[in-house]
Amino acid sequence: MVVAVLFVFSIFGAQLLRLQGFDASAVSAHALDSRLATQVIPAQRGSILDDKGTVLASSIERRTVTVDQTAVPEYKKTVDGVYTKVGVAGAAEDLSPLLGIPVEKLTPMLTGTSRYRVLQKNVTPLNWRKVSQLGVPGIYSEPTSERNYPTSTSAASLVGFLQADGSAGAGLEVLMDQELRGKPGKTVYEQALDGRIIPSGYQQTTPAVPGKDVRLTIDSDLQWFAQNALAQKVIETNALSGTVVVQSVRTGQLLAVASYPTFDPNAPGQSSDNWTNKAFSDVYEPGSTGKVMTAAAALQEGVVTPSTVVEVPNRLRRADHREFKDSHDHPTEYLTFAGVLAVSSNLGTMLVGEKMSPTTLHDYFAKFGLGETSGMAFPGESRGILEPVKQWDGSQRYTVMYGQGLSVNALQATAVYQTIANGGVRIPPRIIASVGGVPAPAAQPVRVVSSEVAKELRDMLEGVVTSEGTAPEAKIDGYRVAGKTGTADRYDPKVGGYSGKTASFIGFAPADDPQIVVSVTLQRPVKGYFGGVVAGPVFRDVMTYALQEFKIPPTSSKAPKVRIKVDPPPPASDPSVIRDGRSGGGSAGPRR
Amino acid sequence: MPSGAELHRPLLTPRGPAPRRRTARWARSDWGLVVAAGGLSLMGALLVWSATHHAAGTAYLFRHLLMAGVGMGLAATVTRLGYQWLRAAAPLLYGLSVLGLVLVLTPLGSTVNGSHSWVLLPGGFSVQPSELAKVALALGLAILLGERLDRGASLGGREVLLAGVLVAVPVGLVMLQPDLGSALVLGALGFGVIALAGAPRRWLAAALGLVVAGVALALTTPLLSPYQRDRLTAFADPSADPQGIGYQTRQVRIAIGSGGWQGQGLFEGRQTQGGFIPFQQTDFVFSVAGEELGFLGAAGLVLLLAFLVLRAVVVAARAREAFGRLLALGVAVWLVFQVFENVGMNLGIMPVTGLPLPFLSYGGSSMLACWLAVGLVNNVHVASQER
Repeated sequence: MVVAVLFVFSIFGAQLLRLQGFDASAVSAHALDSRLATQVIPAQRGSILDDKGTVLASSIERRTVTVDQTAVPEYKKTVDGVYTKVGVAGAAEDLSPLLGIPVEKLTPMLTGTSRYRVLQKNVTPLNWRKVSQLGVPGIYSEPTSERNYPTSTSAASLVGFLQADGSAGAGLEVLMDQELRGKPGKTVYEQALDGRIIPSGYQQTTPAVPGKDVRLTIDSDLQWFAQNALAQKVIETNALSGTVVVQSVRTGQLLAVASYPTFDPNAPGQSSDNWTNKAFSDVYEPGSTGKVMTAAAALQEGVVTPSTVVEVPNRLRRADHREFKDSHDHPTEYLTFAGVLAVSSNLGTMLVGEKMSPTTLHDYFAKFGLGETSGMAFPGESRGILEPVKQWDGSQRYTVMYGQGLSVNALQATAVYQTIANGGVRIPPRIIASVGGVPAPAAQPVRVVSSEVAKELRDMLEGVVTSEGTAPEAKIDGYRVAGKTGTADRYDPKVGGYSGKTASFIGFAPADDPQIVVSVTLQRPVKGYFGGVVAGPVFRDVMTYALQEFKIPPTSSKAPKVRIKVDPPPPASDPSVIRDGRSGGGSAGPRR
Repeated sequence: MPSGAELHRPLLTPRGPAPRRRTARWARSDWGLVVAAGGLSLMGALLVWSATHHAAGTAYLFRHLLMAGVGMGLAATVTRLGYQWLRAAAPLLYGLSVLGLVLVLTPLGSTVNGSHSWVLLPGGFSVQPSELAKVALALGLAILLGERLDRGASLGGREVLLAGVLVAVPVGLVMLQPDLGSALVLGALGFGVIALAGAPRRWLAAALGLVVAGVALALTTPLLSPYQRDRLTAFADPSADPQGIGYQTRQVRIAIGSGGWQGQGLFEGRQTQGGFIPFQQTDFVFSVAGEELGFLGAAGLVLLLAFLVLRAVVVAARAREAFGRLLALGVAVWLVFQVFENVGMNLGIMPVTGLPLPFLSYGGSSMLACWLAVGLVNNVHVASQER
């Protein structure tokens, strides 16, 4: 008997020794792996702020409340002083107001054998605390976050949105995703069979690194105002779309970039057509606003001065007898070069522009930033179309002078005026002021024309905003305003040719000490389409608001008297007058 | 059979010299046995607590300690009542336990954890008659065979056959529940006592042959349910059914293997605290020790259990009469077989048959039965000192 007992127990000893002494480390390592579970701790996404710190996008901590249906029937609580089991019915009743789900809908969600089911998403931390305090067994939560866009549609096309899965959907959310996103943390722990954390088990938490806040150069009040003014005008004129760009002259920083139609970033599930910001993505032929580039080139190249007289006929034949004309028929006029710009004469611009080689013109266009992006890498940003000279066809050599036959986005069009307002130095636009408190790198300035030429152009552009010019609507009381209208033929990809107009006005103020440049562009307005009439008033309203917002005082200086027309006409023998030497009156034969 | 006078003597002497005598009786207890059983009960309380506190707090701890206390009280009572009373009460106890086993098979019986071995009592209590049957059988066999040996007679075929019937009745009833583990313990107890009483070899060989034939029959014919057959064969290859019975075997092996030399510490075992092992506080309480107390703790428990059994063997060896010797040996065989089966299935060298580990596993009936056994052995010890 004793021997038998000892024999049996020594077998146990041997087996224990084998299991625990020799195989132990392998067994326990394998067992640990099988018990380990990882829970991701989401990183708080950084906010997007305007230049004053107003929140444009922010993430709020939320909870996704889930249920283990098998545990709920054990719910007990004190009813009338007695601790009783109230089960699913009691749980549904208590949870219903906190989760915002009616009892009759919640009850089936709590009933069953599923170990995991989502009850409600985006529950506030406060409500989750209340839910948690009820102590309903089987009710758990996972941390999530909800993205909020307090300014709603106003900055939507700039800021973008987050998709339902939390990934960036458009705009700055995409552009700055790396910085905003942060780094999720995780908790690795040993999990009990029923999903509990084993308190004594291995547990290691790597905290999440929150994303950085991105501060923009945008002024949200101005953005809101510009967006509203634009929306109103697009609707009023029955236009296809429109953009407003407000840029700081001295720094190139974007102060507002409105785009309409837009979307609500808090509910972005609409047409994805409007998810881009059209000021970045839409390209169009600028038309007359592009004449400024030709004028700048001509002044810089010494071809003309602002007071050079140009004889502008009613028709002009160029490029294999193609007939060019101005927007209105008119008798032969004698305009100063400033006047050519003020009344926006295509023919006058051509007569001056053809005195420069196509390559010279192309190079100026390129220096003004055409054909390349701003370098911001904004999602959907287009580079516009500036074809190499070799690819220009016969008439394109002339049309580019008045802004047809090349395409820009609204930012590029605005940059031309920023350059002139800034003494000839173009500063590529920037929208990020700082990331996580670190100022964003400044853009590299590019000198396009001399400050003297820029000054001459400013004076000439002031002539536009007079009763003799094309945009008296853009005048602002007390301020000197310079600018240029544009009424371009619009290329419609659906038609495959020109159809409708692009109406625009781009200007800056105060003209003698420019601070702010504003461009307003409307695509295919139906009720009225002249740039001055359609875009001018929006320009005036937005510029007025901007001048007040940034507390820019009116200048007391007087606008220069810009001579536009020459009356009486100069004698035909005057060699300083620029005339049509090739097609005028049909006397001069075609060159080719 | 004991006479009436003998029967009533201890009961009728509460006054007079009795107190001094009782104290003396107490002092002559086999303290090694009592302390070992008490220590095992306390260890069991800790292990049960550790295995259940994450789900039930201290509820199991308290009930385990309560049953251990009640068990000790019963053991003390049995010790106090003495030999003669036991002789007189044995047939009654045996009858009661058989009645209990029959009741299990009636609508009064109740199924817990797949095993139909419970009788529900009023007041929310439930008992497992098969546990108490072990006590009754040990006592019954000791009387049947011991008294005859004490009269100087040798065992003949008639006595062996009668003893076989005495064993076969509870074994058969338990098999009907079906509770294979308890049936094996009862069978082993019976076989061991009859063998140790000096039954002729040929009878024993015949009984063994019967058992072997029965096992062969069970494994080859649909006599056992597929569930039972799975349990019997799964231990050999735990990966065969990783979600079912093999799952349990595998998790137990992981737990014990994770313990290493020194264990992960009480309340620190990941498998135990993670609730990976079903019924860990009952059948697999040994794995708690394996994981949390390591080789040292588990081996210590095995040694303590071995000490307890050996203590019973020593008591048997010192007994002056065959009745006491067979009683103590019966208890020893019962405990050693149950420990062997339980620890063996925890270590993966025996099939899983659903048996508690004496004193350590949670379970009221088992605890009471084990302490009653201590009381019986102690009685033999005290008796051997008296004369």
